[in-house]
Amino acid sequence: MKYNRKLLKLVPFAVISTLALSACQSTKVQRIDANQEVALSDKWNGKDSQLVSEAMVSDMLSFPWVNDHLKKEGTRPAIIIQSIRNKSHQHIAVDTFLNDLKRAILRSGQADFVANKEIREEIRDERKDQELNASLETQNEMGQEQGADYALSGTINSFVDQQGGTRVTFYQVDLRLIDMTSNREVWNGQKKIQKLQERSGYGF
Amino acid sequence: MGARIKKAVTLFIILVQTSLLGACSITQFNQLSPAQLAQQGNFVQAKQNVTQSYNKNGNDRLLYHLEMASLLQLEKNYLQSNEQLALALTLIESFYTQSISELALVQFSGPTYSTYKGKAFYLPQIHIMKALNYNALAKLHPDNSEHYYDAALVEMRQLDVFLSQLKEQTGGYDKEQHDDFLAKKVYQILKPIFAPTDLLENIDYKDDAFAHFLSGVLFEQSGEWDSARLQYERAMFMYENGFAKQYKLPEQISEQARFGLIRMMRKAGGYDNELRAFEPTRDDEAKQSANVTLVQNIGIAPKRKQLNLMLRANTESKALVMTPILLGNYKERQAQMRWFQMLHADTSLFDMMQNYMLGDLGDVAMGALTKRLPLGPLWDDAVRLGIVDALQFGARISVTYLEPLDNQVKYSEVWLNGQPITTLLPYHSVSLLTLQDALKQANAEIHSALSREIIKALSARKALHKAGLEQNNLLGNLAKLTTTVVNAITASADTRQWQTLPAEIRVAQISLPPGEHDVTIKTYFRSGHVVEQSEHITANNVMSLWHTRTFANAPNEQTSLTNSTLNME
Repeated sequence: MKYNRKLLKLVPFAVISTLALSACQSTKVQRIDANQEVALSDKWNGKDSQLVSEAMVSDMLSFPWVNDHLKKEGTRPAIIIQSIRNKSHQHIAVDTFLNDLKRAILRSGQADFVANKEIREEIRDERKDQELNASLETQNEMGQEQGADYALSGTINSFVDQQGGTRVTFYQVDLRLIDMTSNREVWNGQKKIQKLQERSGYGF
Repeated sequence: MGARIKKAVTLFIILVQTSLLGACSITQFNQLSPAQLAQQGNFVQAKQNVTQSYNKNGNDRLLYHLEMASLLQLEKNYLQSNEQLALALTLIESFYTQSISELALVQFSGPTYSTYKGKAFYLPQIHIMKALNYNALAKLHPDNSEHYYDAALVEMRQLDVFLSQLKEQTGGYDKEQHDDFLAKKVYQILKPIFAPTDLLENIDYKDDAFAHFLSGVLFEQSGEWDSARLQYERAMFMYENGFAKQYKLPEQISEQARFGLIRMMRKAGGYDNELRAFEPTRDDEAKQSANVTLVQNIGIAPKRKQLNLMLRANTESKALVMTPILLGNYKERQAQMRWFQMLHADTSLFDMMQNYMLGDLGDVAMGALTKRLPLGPLWDDAVRLGIVDALQFGARISVTYLEPLDNQVKYSEVWLNGQPITTLLPYHSVSLLTLQDALKQANAEIHSALSREIIKALSARKALHKAGLEQNNLLGNLAKLTTTVVNAITASADTRQWQTLPAEIRVAQISLPPGEHDVTIKTYFRSGHVVEQSEHITANNVMSLWHTRTFANAPNEQTSLTNSTLNME
């Protein structure tokens, strides 16, 4: 009985000590799979970028424009990315999303990409340099670039609804593909993501 | 002999407490604050000061990031400034979950031992500062301007999410503000406890008209007419419905927001009926075609300081009595007295009569110097609980007060080609916002400080009782002295604040022909000092936003035409 009382007296001390020790836990880092989602908040993350790009590219390539182009031209269509504007309420690394899009299209083997304006200019400078400094056998000619057949552009939008510690965030990605010869919109795709975040008002 | 010893000990305690209180009146920054150093252009020392005063991982980590962000912005290091602001936003987000263990710790120590979580009005200021930084980056890097302008708009959208929530909680400014009847009723009921006057009416931070206006400018700059129109419209209604009155801003500014709204309606098209209703005059036409917005942040917001009070139990009138202990220089002592009289002292007729009825004639005259909390039938409970005994040597209570507002600016003008073309008008008063926040918190703060110090005094007495030192002998009194002194040391008011915030934000919208222009802002201070800041700006057919920070005590070299461009971007 006496032993039990002593034990009971120790309980609060043990609880406080455990809490104190848990608060003193040092930083811990571990290596995890890049495809594994670690959602610490409802912000747009790498997994969202990957999932949206895969879903949109799959939808884009399922439209008839790819086969139509193959039949007409006999070559794979070449696409250029014009601009993807971030009109959401989150800072989204648009370049990362664009790279995910490009990888998904190239992996499908059904279309090619043309470098954007800045990269094209850098390559042209390099070719100019080759004309002066490279041997004739290894020089690349000017004026042999592949022109883009289609232009890809779009926007990322978002809405937020919040009540106390509960927040619903809705992301919508809209992309469109324009035929650069006829200005026809050959594809228009949309992907939506909804995230729910719940936070507690109190904790230890 | 015993009585003489007790008297001597009491005298000694008063001396020790007074010297301790004197020591406590020293502010966190022993010399010049980061804001004061920044206004002298001494950014290196200002940053060192921040690093020394705030721990990046400690309770003041939010202030570390906020002060650093302000200083980096003044240094034109916009990217790093935004990195600091992003860290501050992440911290504020994490503060949503309150730590129960920390709340318990505060109850036995003081608010200064807790994590500083900032004020509600900091969040809009952070988003505004980030947006201005992105705007400046866009101007510095024209090749990448679209990315930076988009990033500025992301900040405005996040701000909109926050303000929508704030409006939902407070009601915002949808309707014209009248006397706050509910608040009046509540304070009437609380009057016997604390006696604030009607200065506590309509001082809630409900929404932010300036944030909406700036949002409108940024959306207009990016050609998003609909979003800009909505933001200008919100700003216009808010300024009209009470925001301008609450922050003592000129009436013309709602007109400015209206011009923005008309401009957006014309650009978007399809608003002919609405435009007819506005009936613009010829004079208005020029203002509606504005294509340059100049935002001027002036000065430093007023400082939060510590007001010390002595709490005693008066057995004769069966009341707890609080008396301010005025410390510091003449100006500070005066400010402390006025703050106490304004918010806490027995200055109402009700209090005077109450003091008279309690037979405390001294306090009828001294009402302005004391706050009496009559316990009435609760007095016996207070004795039984040991409160009266615990307050034998008094207890120190510390609350914050705000230094008086000092409006140093007479007026501020925009000059072009050697001619003044318009005046920059005050669009927001961060000083009044800080003051109203301090007033709003004053009652809650004194309430919690009072209960905290009583709990601390009681706990100390219980510990003495258990140790067998609760006797009226020299040893007992010395033990009580020790506990009183320890409590006095830990009873500090929370004077922490974002010190580098501006005191006032002024705006001018002008119409310039497309091309390059040299624009000068001349700020005339009441001291006679004139600060000139010039910038080479590019005007386009669409709106362009330019921002500057002006300090009253800027050194002469900063005021010269060549060096004054330091701050402007």
